[in-house]
Amino acid sequence: MSFEPKIVGFLCQWCSYTGADLAGTSRIQYRPNIRVIRLMCSARVDPSFIAKSLADGADGVLVCGCHPGDCHYAEGNYKTMRRFPFLKKMLAAYGIEDERVRLEWVSASEGQRFADVVNDMTERIRLLGPSRVRSKLQTDKAER
Amino acid sequence: MHNSKIGVYLCNCGTNIAKIVDCPALREYAEALPNVVVSKEYKYMCSNPGQEMIIQDIKDHGLDRVVVAACSPRMHERTFRSAIQTAGLNPYMFEMANIREQCSWVHEDTWAATEKAKALTKAAVLRVLHHEPLERMSVKMCPSTLVIGGGIAGLTTALDLAEAGQQVYIVEKKDQLGGNLARVDLTAPYLDSARDLLTERITRVRENNKIEVMLNSQLKSLEGFVGNFVAAIQIQDGRPVAETKKLEVGNVVVCTGYKEFDAGRITHYGYGKLPNVITSFEFEKMLKAGRVETKEGRIPQYVAIIHCVGSRSQEFHGYCSRVCCMTALKYAHEIKSAIPKCYVSDVYIDMHAFGKGHEDFYKRTSEVKTLFLMYGKNERPVIRKADRGDDCEMLIEVNEKLSGEVIEIPADLVILMVGMEAREDSSEVARSVNISQDKEGWFIESHPKLDPVATTTDGIYIAGTCASPKDIPDTVAQARAAAARILGKIARGKIDVEAVYAEVNQDYCSGCRMCNELCPYSAIEYDEQKRRSKVISAVCKACGACVSSCPSGAIKGRHFTDRQIYAQIEGVLA
Amino acid sequence: MADKKLQIALYWSAGCGGCDVAVLDTDEFILEVAKLADIRLWPIAVDGKYKDIEAMPDGELDLTLFNGAVRNSENEHMAKLLRKKSKLLIAFGSCAHMGGIPGLANLTTRDDILTTVYLHNPSIETGNQTIPHPETKVDGFSLHIPEFYKRVYKLSDVVDVDYFVPGCPPAPHQVKNVLLAVVGGQLPPKGSVIGASDRAVCDDCAREKTEKKLKRLHRPHEIIQDPKKCLLEQGILCVGPATRSGCGVRCPNTGQGCRGCYGPLPNVIDQGTKFIAALASIIDSRDPKEIQQIIDQTPDMIAIAYRFGLPASLLQRSMRS
Repeated sequence: MSFEPKIVGFLCQWCSYTGADLAGTSRIQYRPNIRVIRLMCSARVDPSFIAKSLADGADGVLVCGCHPGDCHYAEGNYKTMRRFPFLKKMLAAYGIEDERVRLEWVSASEGQRFADVVNDMTERIRLLGPSRVRSKLQTDKAER
Repeated sequence: MHNSKIGVYLCNCGTNIAKIVDCPALREYAEALPNVVVSKEYKYMCSNPGQEMIIQDIKDHGLDRVVVAACSPRMHERTFRSAIQTAGLNPYMFEMANIREQCSWVHEDTWAATEKAKALTKAAVLRVLHHEPLERMSVKMCPSTLVIGGGIAGLTTALDLAEAGQQVYIVEKKDQLGGNLARVDLTAPYLDSARDLLTERITRVRENNKIEVMLNSQLKSLEGFVGNFVAAIQIQDGRPVAETKKLEVGNVVVCTGYKEFDAGRITHYGYGKLPNVITSFEFEKMLKAGRVETKEGRIPQYVAIIHCVGSRSQEFHGYCSRVCCMTALKYAHEIKSAIPKCYVSDVYIDMHAFGKGHEDFYKRTSEVKTLFLMYGKNERPVIRKADRGDDCEMLIEVNEKLSGEVIEIPADLVILMVGMEAREDSSEVARSVNISQDKEGWFIESHPKLDPVATTTDGIYIAGTCASPKDIPDTVAQARAAAARILGKIARGKIDVEAVYAEVNQDYCSGCRMCNELCPYSAIEYDEQKRRSKVISAVCKACGACVSSCPSGAIKGRHFTDRQIYAQIEGVLA
Repeated sequence: MADKKLQIALYWSAGCGGCDVAVLDTDEFILEVAKLADIRLWPIAVDGKYKDIEAMPDGELDLTLFNGAVRNSENEHMAKLLRKKSKLLIAFGSCAHMGGIPGLANLTTRDDILTTVYLHNPSIETGNQTIPHPETKVDGFSLHIPEFYKRVYKLSDVVDVDYFVPGCPPAPHQVKNVLLAVVGGQLPPKGSVIGASDRAVCDDCAREKTEKKLKRLHRPHEIIQDPKKCLLEQGILCVGPATRSGCGVRCPNTGQGCRGCYGPLPNVIDQGTKFIAALASIIDSRDPKEIQQIIDQTPDMIAIAYRFGLPASLLQRSMRS
């Protein structure tokens, strides 16, 4: 059986979660590998959510917010935008592949775009292979 | 928390969910999850029997938390929260798993969809274990309303509010009321005078002492929250110097209208080069003046009307501007009335005669001998200057679809039915009242079908063409709907402020002040004496930016706490 | 209080000895300790042996202050032994609490460490290819040395820990507080951090805090510092906002940004991601290029965020094989 990535998605209520719902009402089909967690704003995404997702077995993490300038809370997505490069640099130091964590802007009317992003990310991570994080941490624990 | 009793309810949504997700298997899976004492599935959880089932179970089993796996929480979170509240539970002891819009409707693989539904349900169960009861605050509701825009929408909404006895402020950018409708002569399909329509409105507005009109004025900023806004208006209105006035309002209705597409952008229509190629609005001017003539003052022998200028095109705007087809037919009618011998050609893609009286009007227009020519979306007619020997000014080449032939028609006057576009200042307006725009610039409503005049920002309503192209009946309907919504709110007298907000735990705040500048609503204040930061909960919009930014974890995002989200992550990955 | 003197042990595993020095830095107080307690094991200072500990009945020790991380099998063995023999086992200092500086070895692999130290080191004589192994046979005898683990662990990864005293090292006045608390039986619920505040360093820092907006970062020596103003507000990296107080604000008081050795605050599960979230939020720019420039001014994310707590972070170690 080929590897099926597990992707955790953090979507903001006003834009990306609504966009994802729109993909649903439009019956746009996409890969079932993503599991979405709804937040009010992408600015609520604490980098620890991403680290924890990876530690708990996610092969990829997708964070979606409103397009810059369109955040329902004016500037939330700018905060997200600033945190990401820091987080990426940190994850690189941990030896975690850059493509596993992704930030995308999806608006409330972009159901197709959401589906496209999910499909693209799923396939990229399938090629990357499973994340070694959880298995390594579990082995570490078992060895004690 | 360890003694919690959770009820899990899985909706089949008819076959919407049940067709793809194995609901019996999901129900069985949910039953085995921690603290779950009841796990049931039902055809339509949101229906009365569905809700009754939950209410009864809460009483019978002593449930203290409920999970519903069904459609998107954006649809029914409110419904189920009310239901459990009826049974005596705090409405926040509830969580939904979206297994429809984000599962059964988008995945064909039934096994994968069921596995995903299980993960999402588990996440909801693990999360709800960490939910805390939250209380909503009640604040007063200011009964005054701000209406932005003095066109037909703004005037209508203001009148409904004022005639119900409420104070209204109309802020109009231009120096007169009436908006785009003031530029129109007669309206289709009944050929009423637009001026009469507007004059009636404007007179009533001017006479109503509950309506304050501010011309040459603009909204500069809007602060606060629903029921308690403070609008800063820059007023010129006859004053030598503009002044800023602050108004307290409870709600805002945005009626800023549209602007027309710039026909010059389509070069082969020759607008701006050929003097007798004009836009629909320019033709309205002619109709109002009572003279249909060419630029040189001659009576035209041939008039051509071209539909979908800037609309229904890949290059410009993909949408239909809705009013142009009927307006074009109106022009055909009026030209034939003014100049019976005139040959009128109507060059269209499709005839959108969707409304009341429209098909009749179409029939009548064809009876006055108008030549209808159909062109394809991607094959625009081409206008060129006629040759010296021709008895007309211009020639239009149409790749006519019904006959399959290329037809050349003469024209002394060409009327371009320019489409509607979002105004250039629409993003400024959107930002100042905090609403969203779609990619075409139209303001986004709360729900396209079920909530067309509200927006995702409480207290801000949209009506008329600023939301999307529409005709007068629909504009007026929306304007009156917005007024009715607001009157309903005013009748309740107070506003329930959302219980979800951020809170700085004073025992853990160290006064580092990292959060102070982060809040776009300035909801965080710093106490110099105590050296601690604090959130003003009534102003907080719960975005969570400060929650994640607090380096000591001292800010708690109610209902979106770290612990709740960590539990969701664990559930989704188990 | 029992007639018998308090039985205590202080042990250092994968550490630098600084925590033991911190205990000695309590000055005359240590003499009080000697009066109140029998120190049964303290390799740096007194003459107890492993076999003495092994011979004890379980729970004989009232208190063990265990400093140092768990890097090899000896460390783990002693952790487990001392846990068995102690009523109270305290993870003392950053290494035991969170992995400490040795924890940074989790960025590399055991193989890399051993080959770097024993093979690719300029001071190794040419031709010498010797790498230590847990078991070596010499003249028919087996020699055993502790097994060097693949990664560094914190104390609570291998045994159940009663309390955590943070710091690199814990401030001497806190050492005193902790010992007095133990003696007086005034301890909070098991698993708590003691000898530290529940608020961040900023709470005790006397520098003035106004507007947190970051345009660029500086090394401490690159600017003329204003001694009264918050270091972060001057562009000097200080992890103080994300670090427990209790140390006496030692570093910021000397113009050096806090490095986070007292660990995260009570409601934070990962110090590094929290600090990154906070730091990024106050960057005063919306331009991706400018933001990247500011980030590039930070030499090393791990050194900023997890200098003392890499093994205690959510991701714990590098995923490279």
